[in-house]
Amino acid sequence: MPEIQNDDPIVAKSYSGPLLIASLLLVLSLFWALWQEFVGLRPWRGYQREFASVYSKFLGKELTKQKAAADAIMSSAEYQKLAKAAKDAADAAAPQVKKIDEETAYVNRRIAALSPTFITARGEVTALIYQVEIAGSESSKKSRQADVDKAKKGPFNVELPTAEGKTEKKSFNYDELIAEFDSLKNHKAELTLKRADVRKAADEAAKAQAAYIQEKLDGLSVEQVQSLQTAVRQMSVALRQINVDKAGLVDRCQSCHVGMDPKLVPPTLQLTKASLGLEKSKDAPFTSHPQPELLKLHDPEKFGCSPCHGGNGRATNSVVKGHGRHEFWLWPLYYKENTEAGCQTCHAADMFTYHAPVLNKGRELFRQKGCIGCHRYEGFDNEGEQLLSARQKVRQLEQQKKDAELEIPRLNKAGDQAPDNKAAQDYYAKADNLRVETSVMDAQIEQLMVRARSLLREEKKVGPSLKETRMKLRKEWIYYWLENTHTFRPDTKMPQFRFKPREPRAISAFIWQMAVPGPALPKQAPGNSAKGKELFESRGCLACHSIGEGNKKMGGTFAANLSRVGEKVNYDYLVRWIMNPRQRTRPYDPIARKDLGPEDYKQYGKDFVFDLDHSRSPDGKHELQVQQQTVMPNLRLTIAEARDIASYLAAQKHADAVYQPAEFMDDPKLVEQGRALVKNYGCAGCHEIATLEEEGRIGTELTTEGSKPIERLDFSLLTEHAKRGVLPDGKPNVRDGEKNAEWYDHKGFFERKLTNTAIFDQGRVVTQLKMPQPNVTPEDVTALTTFLLGSVDPQVPKDYLYKPADQRRDIQEGWWLVTKYNCMGCHQIAVGQPSDLQGLPIYQGENKFKLPPPLLSEGARVDPNWLARFLENPAMSKTDVNRNGVRNYLAVRMPTFSFSDGEIRKIVKFFQAIASQAQPYLPPRLEPLTPQERTMARDLFTHPAAPCLKCHATGQPAHDANASAPNFLLAPERLQPAWTARWLTDPSRISPGTAMPSGLFKQEGGRWVFSGPLPPSLQGYSKDHADLLVRYMFQITPEEQRMLLGRTPAGGKSGAK
Amino acid sequence: MKARLLFAVLAVALALSLSACGSKEQAEEKPAAPAVASAPVDPATAGTITGTVKLDGPAPKAQRIRMDAEPTCAKTHTTPVMTEDYVVGDKGGLGNVVVYVKDGLGNRTFDTPKEPVVLDQNGCIYVPHVIAVQVNQPVEIINSDPTTHNVHPVPTNNKEWNKSQPPKAENIVESFAREEIAIPVKCNVHPWMKSYIAVLKHPYFKVTGKDGAFEIKNLPPGDYTLVAWHGVLGTSAEQKVTIGPKESKAIEFTFKP
Repeated sequence: MPEIQNDDPIVAKSYSGPLLIASLLLVLSLFWALWQEFVGLRPWRGYQREFASVYSKFLGKELTKQKAAADAIMSSAEYQKLAKAAKDAADAAAPQVKKIDEETAYVNRRIAALSPTFITARGEVTALIYQVEIAGSESSKKSRQADVDKAKKGPFNVELPTAEGKTEKKSFNYDELIAEFDSLKNHKAELTLKRADVRKAADEAAKAQAAYIQEKLDGLSVEQVQSLQTAVRQMSVALRQINVDKAGLVDRCQSCHVGMDPKLVPPTLQLTKASLGLEKSKDAPFTSHPQPELLKLHDPEKFGCSPCHGGNGRATNSVVKGHGRHEFWLWPLYYKENTEAGCQTCHAADMFTYHAPVLNKGRELFRQKGCIGCHRYEGFDNEGEQLLSARQKVRQLEQQKKDAELEIPRLNKAGDQAPDNKAAQDYYAKADNLRVETSVMDAQIEQLMVRARSLLREEKKVGPSLKETRMKLRKEWIYYWLENTHTFRPDTKMPQFRFKPREPRAISAFIWQMAVPGPALPKQAPGNSAKGKELFESRGCLACHSIGEGNKKMGGTFAANLSRVGEKVNYDYLVRWIMNPRQRTRPYDPIARKDLGPEDYKQYGKDFVFDLDHSRSPDGKHELQVQQQTVMPNLRLTIAEARDIASYLAAQKHADAVYQPAEFMDDPKLVEQGRALVKNYGCAGCHEIATLEEEGRIGTELTTEGSKPIERLDFSLLTEHAKRGVLPDGKPNVRDGEKNAEWYDHKGFFERKLTNTAIFDQGRVVTQLKMPQPNVTPEDVTALTTFLLGSVDPQVPKDYLYKPADQRRDIQEGWWLVTKYNCMGCHQIAVGQPSDLQGLPIYQGENKFKLPPPLLSEGARVDPNWLARFLENPAMSKTDVNRNGVRNYLAVRMPTFSFSDGEIRKIVKFFQAIASQAQPYLPPRLEPLTPQERTMARDLFTHPAAPCLKCHATGQPAHDANASAPNFLLAPERLQPAWTARWLTDPSRISPGTAMPSGLFKQEGGRWVFSGPLPPSLQGYSKDHADLLVRYMFQITPEEQRMLLGRTPAGGKSGAK
Repeated sequence: MKARLLFAVLAVALALSLSACGSKEQAEEKPAAPAVASAPVDPATAGTITGTVKLDGPAPKAQRIRMDAEPTCAKTHTTPVMTEDYVVGDKGGLGNVVVYVKDGLGNRTFDTPKEPVVLDQNGCIYVPHVIAVQVNQPVEIINSDPTTHNVHPVPTNNKEWNKSQPPKAENIVESFAREEIAIPVKCNVHPWMKSYIAVLKHPYFKVTGKDGAFEIKNLPPGDYTLVAWHGVLGTSAEQKVTIGPKESKAIEFTFKP
């Protein structure tokens, strides 16, 4: 027996233990890998299985419900009646149908018997004819033709079934055979038509029966639910993805969000957590899209999910990765409150995006709060940038013209010296063409100059001009305001600056001393404050301004709250401002860069007169800024009215307000220091300030701020806080119910910064942030954050971006203006959008008839050329201006906005576009009235049952005192006939709640007939009555109206007839 | 080098112009300038073509021009104003015809005369009705009327222009760069006004007077083709003439109305 060595490793040490462990580990890791492969890395499998189970349950319930509903409908008397009618009709048709069916069967049998012989014969003859066609010689053609003739002779013997069920033997030649076959086919076709004819009533009754269920049954039909159940049963657990090659898009979101699949969940079926019985689950991504109408506009097969929602569409191994909510994914899924940020990706050029109220609010705030004063944003500085580009284009064209003018003599000379006449003519023609082109350039240049002039008028500032300070304000108030902005006026749009000590002194001194010194304002007599209050509340001031503090506040939010205006303002100035807010004390000369005074005009022997009609510089060389850059319009008040309102406003003050004297404001030593500070804080972004008119913006451009790399957003000392999900104050950050949620992302940055603009200076020795604190609510912060999150460098293909070139562009351009001038303060413009005035207590109940008109169908209602004239001069008169041009009976006044030509064009096109009107408008030709028709129309017009002139104004003061609708004399040039006809027949459909009554006409035999008792002259009139009135209205004259007024009981005179 | 060539050309041009407009004696005294484009015409051998243009048949009756639209012009005329399309002399001579050498001069070039040909607007009539100039020769247009005219040549091969000429305005001096027979001239204000400007590359042309006579002088010996052009009747048949040294030949053109 060999000796066993003690140190033999095999014997001495057993490795079985470690080996066992290792192999166990190996097996375990194999299982782990397998588990990961099939479960861990594929969480969507679990979701899909869970979805199938909960959705099946849901469909089961749905089926029961729909079945019950369908049964209930079917047991209703009405359904039974329909069912009986269907059955009766079917029964009535049955004998005939049976006969037809029998005959058809007989014809079919005969065709079947004939077919084999027919097909063989036709094949044979066709083959022989082909032989004739390809035969080489005449003789062979002839012999082949003989074959054809022989074959055609037949005879073809066929056994055909007879109607009695026997068979008959028949013999045909070829032509007879064909004829027999064709006649059978024709007979069959006839029978088919006849059958449909006989069944018609029965089929229609059956259709009505089915339609009844469909109409009454809310939701899916039983069959539909059943087919969905089948679909869910057959659903395989697999990766679901949308793949759009050209967009480089692979979105696998539906792998977990299975409910988004329209094949599984049709849009009519809304899946919510509640309906699935998963209210308590935090992890049930099965709901269907909450806004199916958005999916109709944005087909998911084209747009996918992630371009709108953010997230990493490719990632499928975990929720966090799929949603892209980690530091390394630039496009995280938007949180619910910011979802609309996704719209901005493609809709960045929009001013107003349908279905995106939060985003719209964000954009709106960005403009209204004056963010654009410091931060450039592509498309948000329309006027200024357009002005620059217009001026640049003019320079380019002038250069081109100069070049052309040098080229023309060269061409003419070449023509003079050309070797032959043809060449000479060509040269002369070229020279002529070039000359014509220069004239086209002249036209372009001229248009651009007009545009530039318009733009000078369109350029507005967010804040008031500080050049007027000395004329307008109480001196000490300025200093107070700078430090106590939000205390003095809690809802002001001016942000609160964080000044260092003594900075406000220098700033207020600078502003005070730079303001224009005069000419002095005329002294105004005091007005009647009580009358002023009434005017303030009724003329429409409250559409933009609010008044009252705390819960007594009422009015719009577009412009300042005037509660304490009496503490700051100079009465004489206020009167001038109310009379015409655009009135400047001195015009600004953008070339000389100074405000011109009487002395500058005197130099050229001119009076100190400047307004929109006198806007050239005194040397006549260029355009001046002759208006204050405010959007506040001229309400065309009388001087007495302006004094009354000013007196009322001047009394709006805190009785106990005390202002410390501020003599330092006259200290010339502070001016330079103040100027530097004003520049530093960017005040000129929102205010017109002498010597700083051409200052640029001081803030970061924000056009693509949402896609700025996160490292470039300076979280400063709060970076760690943000990553740990702790707020600056030490409290946990909560998002979507998650505590301590990380906020080291764009959303976190924007929200923190907007809530407290100094936040990222926290803890720093040297503070450097100068962004002032905007006056925003938490909702405002969410809206602005949404807007900024969506402000990205888009990753989608260019043609995904919404940049329509058709009427939809007119709509966007129009929205810019409609919001710029706050048209919605007074008017309802979009369906479902109330005006600010509508909410005021003074317009409730029957007083709603005192509201300005809704403009929902304005583009279809009025002739666009008239609208343009009206917008330019809403008084519709050059002399009689203290009134409304159309609705003189309304106390609220359509103001004069002094729109530029460009703005008028855009507003008119906007209204045309939202009403889908063709451009340019061509008035339709109306059929002239016959004398009889004229008589009828007059009778109808003054009929006691159609008291048109009772409400519609006529221009006679006694009558118009009670008028509540426009004068008919305006109709021909103002209205569109088609709209007028729609309005006459059903006004409440166009404008719910209108004072114009509905039901004046009723439908009868496809035309509108007056519903009251017919005047004798109209008896037997076979045409449309509404159309008759429209045609009459469109040719009405003052004489005609006066004559009518004499006839109508409402005319105030005794009936002349 | 270039400058020297230019100088030579200028010198030739000067010499030629002097010889063309100067008298025979003067030309003889001057030595012949060096030939550049072609030899100058040697007055010693130059010949002459004379002749008349005739209208074969009665001329269509002239139309009366009504100037009611422009009383200031109407006043200047004591007799009725008639159209000038056919100006016929006693012996059937036809005026307002441009007779010119159409062919035979080869590549010979000629100086441009500096003195302008005058076209007057007088009593709302162009005077004369037809003028002929050399290429680039100035045409001086005068407005003798107390009314505003516009002068509007309507050329085919030349550059078109149209200038307004108020009363007492400066004379318009223009020229035409290309040969064209003939350019109609219109006044758009007074539609009855019409005139023709014939533009030729050489000086061998003549506008006939009422007698229809013409004389074309200083022709170097050679074979020539001549034609006559009339504003209404157009261009006549060509006539070939051979001129020997110092020779003078007579030809006749006949137009049928």
